[in-house]
Amino acid sequence: MLVCVSHLELIRLLVGRELTLRYKRSVLGIGWTLLNPILTSFVLWIVFSFVFASKLPSGQQFAPYLMAGILLNTFFNQGLMASAESIAGNGGVLTKIYIPPQIFAVSAALAALVNFLIGFLPLAIVVIISGQSLSLWLPLSLVVAFFMAIFVAGIGLTLSILFIRFDDSRNIVAVLLMITMYLTPIFYPVSILNSTMQSIVRWNPITSYLEIFRWAFSNNASPSGRDWIFMIVTSLASITIGTYFFKKKWPKTMAML
Amino acid sequence: MAKNDGDALMAVIKLENVGFTYRVLLNRTGSLKELFKEAVHGRVRMIDYVALSGVSFELNAGEVVAIIGRNGAGKSTLLKILAGVLPPTEGKSVVNGSIAPMIELGAGLHPEMTGSENVLFYSVLMGRKTKKVKSRIAAIGEWAGVTDHMDFPLRTFSSGMVARLAFATATDEKAEVLLVDEILSVGDAEFQKKSRARMDQLIASGAAVVLVSHDLNSVRELSTRTIWLEAGHVKMFGETGAVVDAYEAS
Repeated sequence: MLVCVSHLELIRLLVGRELTLRYKRSVLGIGWTLLNPILTSFVLWIVFSFVFASKLPSGQQFAPYLMAGILLNTFFNQGLMASAESIAGNGGVLTKIYIPPQIFAVSAALAALVNFLIGFLPLAIVVIISGQSLSLWLPLSLVVAFFMAIFVAGIGLTLSILFIRFDDSRNIVAVLLMITMYLTPIFYPVSILNSTMQSIVRWNPITSYLEIFRWAFSNNASPSGRDWIFMIVTSLASITIGTYFFKKKWPKTMAML
Repeated sequence: MAKNDGDALMAVIKLENVGFTYRVLLNRTGSLKELFKEAVHGRVRMIDYVALSGVSFELNAGEVVAIIGRNGAGKSTLLKILAGVLPPTEGKSVVNGSIAPMIELGAGLHPEMTGSENVLFYSVLMGRKTKKVKSRIAAIGEWAGVTDHMDFPLRTFSSGMVARLAFATATDEKAEVLLVDEILSVGDAEFQKKSRARMDQLIASGAAVVLVSHDLNSVRELSTRTIWLEAGHVKMFGETGAVVDAYEAS
């Protein structure tokens, strides 16, 4: 990832492009970045608050619980897809001008990170409305965001190779992402699951990221030391495997572009 | 000895026995499902596909070399290796100096970004510095004749305007090596003359040029030496006149 340092100007442009272009032709423009998680959370809150709100441990609030889940899941989902698509999508340039291709995947992950950080604002408002207060540990949310970006970039790099080589890998990944989403306690409390399901959900790394994030933001969860270790280990493993796999496979994959 | 040192400095491009081979699945499946099915039946077979093999040449500053050959002869693979995007699997490729790839100009442009934003983005992609580019944007737009449009999204440009802007951006800074793929026919007659003049100027200022073209007339006119590729091998390499004659006769 050292290559990124020498291309900071390009990364800045790429992140900016990613952020502004998504909603370029809509009236609200970048305002959608703010509005999107609010609306999604609102809909899910209407649907699920009757069922799950009372199942949370006392002191925890459902609205911020849900919204934190949606924000982090969007970060993971959109970041992963954007990062995995970025290299095939910029194939036209990458086959002609020498730029380390990893830059595109990293920039996509960073753009998702910025979107996530923008979401802190509406989340903070929801936290206060629901009668909680922001945690003193709030800066640790940035640590979660950092590890998540690395996690996303690593998987994105691996997938970008598969996306170029196998057309149907996109569909398979879409299904896997959906399964992952349901195995993450975004809108349900873990306590409603039976013990087998609970242990499966606990082995989903996103659960650990999410627990830490909820706790750091408004003390709305109680992550264990295991969650911290799990977050750091999966993130570093992802980027290590991703960069290695990408480096190894890229030349011959590029020849196919 | 002194002369040899001088030659070593002059050679901007040096290819030694360059080759590129890749493994492909025998029936080139592009789907994981198919691959899985074949793996279950034990039918996954790989073959080595030789895209390029044993290409050697040297190119000095101010020289123009053309690459000709039929589709699939390995011309694009060779250009990718020269551009440094594709590391060769055999041999060595050394390019000294900055490269301006003028291959499918406009590949890095985005229809939703404005002309100015695209110029900046494209330039930074080619390794130029943001600060320096920003001061050049107006001049680039003017040279391309699209000054009035620079603040509008690229999708509102005509295709000729896009090509002109891309050409103007790519050639705005002097490069030691130009990789050219069929772009001498950009824009209308007037702009063609203008762009041709700029190319000549770049060559005169010491740029080494690798030109890939199917247009044999422009090959004869521009290049001193020509490489004829066939099925990944160098079929013939030498003075342009002789090589093009032989190619036409084949």
